[in-house]
Amino acid sequence: MYKRLLSLAAIIIGLILISFPTLAAGPFYEGKTIRIIVGYSAGGGYDTYARVISRHMGKHIPGNPTIIVENMTGAGSLISANHLYKVAKPDGLTIGHFNGGLFFNQVLGEPGIEFDAKKFRFIGAVVKEEVAFAFTKASGITNIEKWMASKTPVKMGGVAPGAFAPDNVIRIVKAALGLPIQLISGYKGTADIRLACESGELAGTSWGWDSMRATWRKALEIGDVVVVMQGVPKPFPDLPKVPLAINLAKTDEARQLIEVGIHSPSIFARPFVLPPGTPKDREEILSKALQEILKDKEFLAETEKAKLDLNHVTGEELEKAVAGIFKIDSTMLAKLKDILFK
Amino acid sequence: MIEMVNAFVLGLTQIFTGTTFGLMLLGIVIGFIVGILPGLGGPTTLALMLPFIVKMNPVQAFAFLLGMAAVVNTTGDITSILFGVPGEPTTAATIVDGHPMAKKGEAGRALGAALMSSLVGAVFGAFALALAIPIVRPLVLTFGSPEFFMLALLGITFVASLSGEVLLKGLIAGGIGLFLATVGLCPMSSIQRYTFGQTFLWDGIGLVPITIGFFAIPEIVDLAVQGSSIARGRVGILGGVMEGVKDTFRHWWLVIRCSAIGTYTAVIPGMGGATTQWLAYAHAVQSSPDKERFGKGAVEGVLGPGASNNSTLGGSLITTIAFGVPASVTMAILLGAFLIHGVVPGPDMLIPEPRGHLALTFSFVWINVVSNIITVGICFLFLNQLVKVTQIRGSLLIPFILLLIYLGAFAEKNIFEDLILVLIFGGLGWVLQRLNWPRPPLILGLVLGPLAENRLFLSTDNYGYAWLLRPGVLIILSLTLIGAFYPIFQRKWQKRKRDKGQPSVQKAVSPNGTRIPRFSWATIFSLFIIVVFICALWESRSFNVRAGLFPWAIGFPVLAFAIVQLIMDLMGKGDRSGDDHKGEAGSELPTDIVNRRTAGIFGWIIGFFVAIWLFGFSIGGPLCTFIQLKIGYRERWPLTLILAGFSWVFIYGLFDRILHVPFPEGQIFLWLKFSSV
Repeated sequence: MYKRLLSLAAIIIGLILISFPTLAAGPFYEGKTIRIIVGYSAGGGYDTYARVISRHMGKHIPGNPTIIVENMTGAGSLISANHLYKVAKPDGLTIGHFNGGLFFNQVLGEPGIEFDAKKFRFIGAVVKEEVAFAFTKASGITNIEKWMASKTPVKMGGVAPGAFAPDNVIRIVKAALGLPIQLISGYKGTADIRLACESGELAGTSWGWDSMRATWRKALEIGDVVVVMQGVPKPFPDLPKVPLAINLAKTDEARQLIEVGIHSPSIFARPFVLPPGTPKDREEILSKALQEILKDKEFLAETEKAKLDLNHVTGEELEKAVAGIFKIDSTMLAKLKDILFK
Repeated sequence: MIEMVNAFVLGLTQIFTGTTFGLMLLGIVIGFIVGILPGLGGPTTLALMLPFIVKMNPVQAFAFLLGMAAVVNTTGDITSILFGVPGEPTTAATIVDGHPMAKKGEAGRALGAALMSSLVGAVFGAFALALAIPIVRPLVLTFGSPEFFMLALLGITFVASLSGEVLLKGLIAGGIGLFLATVGLCPMSSIQRYTFGQTFLWDGIGLVPITIGFFAIPEIVDLAVQGSSIARGRVGILGGVMEGVKDTFRHWWLVIRCSAIGTYTAVIPGMGGATTQWLAYAHAVQSSPDKERFGKGAVEGVLGPGASNNSTLGGSLITTIAFGVPASVTMAILLGAFLIHGVVPGPDMLIPEPRGHLALTFSFVWINVVSNIITVGICFLFLNQLVKVTQIRGSLLIPFILLLIYLGAFAEKNIFEDLILVLIFGGLGWVLQRLNWPRPPLILGLVLGPLAENRLFLSTDNYGYAWLLRPGVLIILSLTLIGAFYPIFQRKWQKRKRDKGQPSVQKAVSPNGTRIPRFSWATIFSLFIIVVFICALWESRSFNVRAGLFPWAIGFPVLAFAIVQLIMDLMGKGDRSGDDHKGEAGSELPTDIVNRRTAGIFGWIIGFFVAIWLFGFSIGGPLCTFIQLKIGYRERWPLTLILAGFSWVFIYGLFDRILHVPFPEGQIFLWLKFSSV
């Protein structure tokens, strides 16, 4: 019996020794795997960007770690944001990529938020979520005049209360510009909304122009889908004549609503985020890698091929934009709260 | 027209060029292994393979990816049949009859049937895709949220067919499944339902841990209790395989109908192989005149899901190609691959070159057909060896099956808590099996619940109540009603026929004499369900209408059914077949041995879990294998060491080092770290 126990102990110790993580010195990321947890399902806009990045970012990090993408879907990516804050280890090996509109929900005091946006570490973004409002030709809404003149509310698709696009931007233009809109929320994602638009169930929707242009390319080219308005401070280069939402605003309050509710969240809409408490040096390594990747020829060639737009936002810019929304005054806050969640 | 034929031929010739064919073979090999191992899902592997396709041309990339995706379900059936562990989440339905066949010594026949029907299903799905190309867009575009909701409802009525002899129990089980589907964040209001503050439940209860727990745990308990090899009877080796192949042709129309179910259901976004397999299984049960054989090793129960889980791929591809709307996770990843290659799914895919990509689309059809022919061919070469697995003594298999169970549960979402779900649902599955409750309705309810709830709200939000009068809704409603009532009438007619033939026998069989109200395990379990539902409904009082409608609409009827079931149990009516079943499972063994062995295997099941929790997968797994083989089953030293070493190489080498599965660290090491800081 004694002999048996002894050999058992020897085997346990042996196994522990063999399986223990490498003790050798070297760059921290050497032999490591970085996970990018994407809050939306595979194949969507967030996922597509994360996967392209995952294929090229490793070589810009000392130690050349493997980078993998995992999808943690649900509640407009709130699940993954909370996971990143509460569960993920702050070891620089987990990066979150979720809907930055959720930071807004914290400011508005929405339930379900289990993070403090100010404590996340921001490594940057490679694209802004600058939105366009598009409708099918079949819906009859082919320009802003027709939209304004519509007698019945126009059906627009959303995913969940609190999501920046489509839900928040649609609610804000409805309130600020008084456009006739019926928001129908609960679709699984923009792919499902697209299908519902094509089948005539919905008239249109609004989400990032970059992603819309890639996934709805054919319909936009042949004119089956028309962009009617854009939610940006300056027009997109390829949409010079489409009116800006902000120019249609008649009051100061309406203008402020669009600025706080649409323009500034589009900066932090697609953030790459680290759990609070991640060591500063690792944050800097990742932040730098995300900047360098935008000069990487292979990366650029691939994004070019897949028609993915790039618009870099640094970690500091992100942090500033997020800090900004915590300074909104209380009357404006109450107003926003009313618009977005009632 | 000629352009189309040209594209069709070009699609075929394209894949027979050197590199493309080589890549397809590579894809097949990977898919083959992925299918067999429960820990590795098709979608995960596809996502891992995406980086490699950037440098390939589109046809090569899809030959590689589709070659892989096309065969996972074929080889997944093999694991399901041999071990009772679902090789893929989409091959769980094959267990229900396939594994009992293996236990009877008919593993060869079951495998032959599964492989042949898989091939038929794949070819059917591929050509359905080809034929659908001209009409698919207008067809799918007539469908809106109301039609999607009605189709989900139609699917849910299949619960009745899945219930077999015990309709009431089946309805309750289906209701439990639907109710479990509400766990997590409500998609309409973002309110938490039944999450108990647990983050991992926000996403709902995963299908994989439930399916694994539900089917694999009861099977491993059974294997341990019997103390023999998986196959109890004599194993008819290759003759059996040919028998299975012949079965496919004997039940030719069933196989074709189930292939059609697989393909056309998968066109609907949100319904993938996880759903279609059960619908096909339900159809196989429903269309058989002899329903009692199901669950005990009826070959039709293998043919149905075998065909449908392979024909699903063709159907899912239809929606992905024509609209860029992925019908399943696998498809979502393929969609990512499309975009990488600058191919935008949509009408262009259906227009001949040079303006469109029709030849590429047709090459998908051919890749699906060719890769399945190759896989099935290879499988037949190895079947002899595979069948022998069922003759290995159980004590050598149990540690490995346990490892596969836990690895499989973990690797889908990489969440440790899923292992706890395996334990809970494993226990529940075992109880349901012992008390003769049907398990498939619960799974069907679970997979269709979210789709039904989501689309119900979208329908009402979009159309008010006017959606109820849409022609599509009315057509599907009438189909649903026919589907629901036809079996009842059919049963009545059959009964009348039978009664006419032999009225006296019927009376003699039915038990007579009054029964006194009694408390058995069955009664306690029914009571347990009632208590759980009362608590759940009480908890739901804080939900608003959007979050609460679905739980209420399901909870109250199920509660009523459960009360009726309890009364039947008390009257001693509900449990007759349960007694038969008990007698059958432990037939030659005395009760005390059965009890001792049952307690023993549950000890091991929990022991593995604790070891993995304490030491992590790469140490806990091999350690348990070693302890169980040496101390539990007193195997010889060399064999024990070799097997424990093998399991270490398998977990640490394959999953940890090569595949980078993010195993959590053992709890002990975390404690050690904390104490050292």
